[in-house]
Amino acid sequence: MPRPERRFVTFSIDGREVSAPEGVMLVDGAKYGDVEIPVFCYEPKLGAPVGACRMCLVEVEGIPKLQTACSTPVKDGMVVHTQTDRVREAQNSVIEFLLVNHPLDCPVCDKGGECPLQDITFGWGRGISRMVEPKRHFKKPLELSPLIAIDRERCILCYRCVRFSQEVSEDYQLVLNERGASTYVGTFDGHPYVAPFSGNIIELCPVGALTSRAYRFRARPWDIEGAGSVCTHCPAQCNVEFTVRDERVLRVLARDNEGVDDGWLCDKGRFAYQAIHSEERITEPLVRDSESGELVPATWEYALDVAAAALQAGGSKTAALAGGTTTNEEGFLLQRVVREALKSPHVDSRAGLPQVDLGLQQALAAPGLQATIPDLEFAHTVLVLGTDPIDDVASLDLRIRKGVRRNGVKLAVATSRPSALDPNAKLWLRYAPGGEHAFVAALEAAVTGSGDLSALCDAADADPKALEALAALLKDGGEDVVILWSQRLGAAPLPALLNVAAALRLEGRDGAGLIEVPVGGNGRGLREAGVQSNGGPGLSAPKAPGKPAREIAAALASGDLSTLWLLHADPVRDYADRRLWERAAANADALVAHATLLNDTLREHATVVFPAESYAEKEGTIVNLDGRVQRLRVAIGRPGAVRAEWQVIADLSKRLGLDLGVLTGPMATRQLVEAVPFYAGLTLKEIGGRGVRWQEREAASAAPAAPAGPVESGEPLPAPRPNGALRLGTYRPIWAAPEVEVSPALKFLAAKQQAELSPVDAERLGVDNGAKVSVTAGDATVLAKVFVRGNVPAGTVFLAEATAEQSATELLGEAPQLVSVEPYGQRPPVPLEGLARGARPSDDEVNS
Amino acid sequence: MAWNPGEDVVAVQRAPKPGGAGGAYRAFGETLRGLKTTFGRMLERPVVYQYPEEKVPVYPRFRGRHKLHKFADTGLEKCVGCSLCAAACPADCIRVVAAENTPEHRVSAGERYAAVYEINLSRCIFCGYCEVACPFDAITMGHDYEMSDYNRTDLIFTKEMLLAEPLERTPLRTEDE
Repeated sequence: MPRPERRFVTFSIDGREVSAPEGVMLVDGAKYGDVEIPVFCYEPKLGAPVGACRMCLVEVEGIPKLQTACSTPVKDGMVVHTQTDRVREAQNSVIEFLLVNHPLDCPVCDKGGECPLQDITFGWGRGISRMVEPKRHFKKPLELSPLIAIDRERCILCYRCVRFSQEVSEDYQLVLNERGASTYVGTFDGHPYVAPFSGNIIELCPVGALTSRAYRFRARPWDIEGAGSVCTHCPAQCNVEFTVRDERVLRVLARDNEGVDDGWLCDKGRFAYQAIHSEERITEPLVRDSESGELVPATWEYALDVAAAALQAGGSKTAALAGGTTTNEEGFLLQRVVREALKSPHVDSRAGLPQVDLGLQQALAAPGLQATIPDLEFAHTVLVLGTDPIDDVASLDLRIRKGVRRNGVKLAVATSRPSALDPNAKLWLRYAPGGEHAFVAALEAAVTGSGDLSALCDAADADPKALEALAALLKDGGEDVVILWSQRLGAAPLPALLNVAAALRLEGRDGAGLIEVPVGGNGRGLREAGVQSNGGPGLSAPKAPGKPAREIAAALASGDLSTLWLLHADPVRDYADRRLWERAAANADALVAHATLLNDTLREHATVVFPAESYAEKEGTIVNLDGRVQRLRVAIGRPGAVRAEWQVIADLSKRLGLDLGVLTGPMATRQLVEAVPFYAGLTLKEIGGRGVRWQEREAASAAPAAPAGPVESGEPLPAPRPNGALRLGTYRPIWAAPEVEVSPALKFLAAKQQAELSPVDAERLGVDNGAKVSVTAGDATVLAKVFVRGNVPAGTVFLAEATAEQSATELLGEAPQLVSVEPYGQRPPVPLEGLARGARPSDDEVNS
Repeated sequence: MAWNPGEDVVAVQRAPKPGGAGGAYRAFGETLRGLKTTFGRMLERPVVYQYPEEKVPVYPRFRGRHKLHKFADTGLEKCVGCSLCAAACPADCIRVVAAENTPEHRVSAGERYAAVYEINLSRCIFCGYCEVACPFDAITMGHDYEMSDYNRTDLIFTKEMLLAEPLERTPLRTEDE
């Protein structure tokens, strides 16, 4: 659905002529005339108003009864009164009724001081109550979930939380139980309300009924300061406001930015701030002691000397990897040091994914082909390709649901793993893990009408009829098509994707285009800053192409490279082929890392570990999915001896004989802006609090021109045939992250390995939900608990990547592969030497 | 050209010229009038209080050092750590950090209690707003005004110090005093 046009109508409120957009509700329309109408239940983000609280009653001439301003749209010539005696009497009475059962325990309540009920009672209430009868009592405090405390006495039944659960996050868990005066909010059977977006109801609650357990009694509104910044836990980069007291982040609130997050946060963004103040945080430089072989605290000067010596010794055999919360500036300085001072071309930030040809990258980054995040909400058709937003870019999940629910967006989901968006989709398709290239090529064939669709579908193990339906939906469902695709698709399918976009004529069309979901919080920004093996700043060609991450690992393991420099990256945990990276880390002569938390790799192999800043301490810029350059601002002071990262890189560089000329953070920003042509002229002031999309600035014309014409998409490899074994598909759960594991509030959610099996395979293996299985590929085995999921395609098992233990990356090799799944613990595991990658186990082995 | 003040000129009133009978009266009469007060008070006892041995009794509403209170029957603290006193304080000298009561560790009557309650008495202006703001009458202004110390940091009073029964160092004025 294209965005509706805005027409203005004129109406009168309290004797003022006010012009407001047609169709907005009176509450919003009144704001155009600076008239405030009090509300509790009305929240435009939740969709259609319900008129439950009756606080917004106003008098409209021509209508005998008072009307709820939250559900009465403005009309031309309407005459509204909000200050008459009738209205005042109604407001006073509503407040009095709301307070009949409200306990008024404001001194104890966490909402006290920032509570709409307090404010509105002071502003519109009678001031005294005539009710002397005993109030309704509930047991309190109660846990609604480990993250949320519920106090039912305080609830005024505004329905906001229930509407959020039912209509926004669509987890359908919260309901109103009982009826009338006994109504209370809860889950139907009393189970804890655990959902990826549950924390939003804390912010929605207009009273203190739903409060954060992590923030419980931590501070009062007058004790705290708000500090706006951006969350860097995933590429969605939601805008947040840190609540800071005594130089500690105590809470994270959403900072509504329509172009980024629409005002919602996931629970990881909301609660993983606790990792900033974790006991395990590194706050001083650590250097490996040559005698004891342990990492010991050291002074900065000594640590910098040791690191510089190690890097100098490595020289052109040094490789650098950036990831996580690395800002554009840090990435830019890192690649300058590695390329200019060390003369090594090996820098990468692509999380171990295959290297994408630079011309292809330039074509995909073309400003005309770029859709914006709000486009997801107003497009005719949205295709989600190879990603489950809930795990990869959480807040976009809500954005897509909103588009489908409110604007009639036709959603198509094409993934290998069943997606959380399937129930909302008009069409969902599955392809086999490893069949990405064949699938996108088949989509190209279906859209363009050329090529052998059935053979390609066969190679991708996808349903040709569904693909044709998808092509028809994309072609005939309206011109505005947005394709949300994942960097995890790899490199091979991208030419076909470009051809699909060309066939659908997405280039240059407002409201249509592609959005890439990168891996890592600032994946896009780091690539644009030049932190990749085959691309310099601004997607230019580097002087010498370097090795991508995977080859770096192989070269380190074989001794071709000697030194590894990690900036917020943890390749052993995050990148595919864990064992290769373990070998690489062990084999490296020196390992220099900037990290906030120690992990086993660093503990065993690091030469120097610099304490890194957390995202609340950083200043710099990052780039969102759709090219929005956003600004990280310092919210709290750096703990202990932590230094700014640009400063550490600049100090190292000086010791390596290159003066970067960076004395302050903004100087690094200026250097970056000068080096990237399409950022030209960008200033921190211009970025401001809401960010700015570089495609919308004049300098965007300096973006590298993409090669024209259809791209040769190559011959896709077929996805492996299971033939009795199972295909391995992997995904990275939202909860698989070290910051989740060290946050006390979120610890209970930390991802554990589970094998998602189809009912057919589960029955064949004789395992049920919760049973333990071993998943084996070659000589690597991962233990997992079985989760039988109805819509997992038979013949495939899905495992989580990047879990703390038993990560699926252990099994991931170079090629997509087959694994054997065996019940564990019932009998000794069958020796599986014969079961090499792709080899077929005998039926006995599988069935027994 | 000089400015003509015109009507604005104010005539300065000066004392009468000395001399004559008026001069004599001023020289002796006024002196004697003053001495009358001096001699008149000569037989009274001195009014100087020998502080610190002797202290002036204070009025019941005198605002001295703060006190925190407990319930007499249960022994629980009245303060629930709501931090309203800190909000009301114009000198910003109160710091409250609240925490949650647990059944094993119950400090106050409500859900929360003040884990840290500090008043920086070197900043306090003894206005008594904290007492007015307190919804539980947990903090009141006492009568003690003897708080000088050798160290500024010793003037930060913690919860334990404020809860402790203060030394009765200051006599209270009785009703007829």
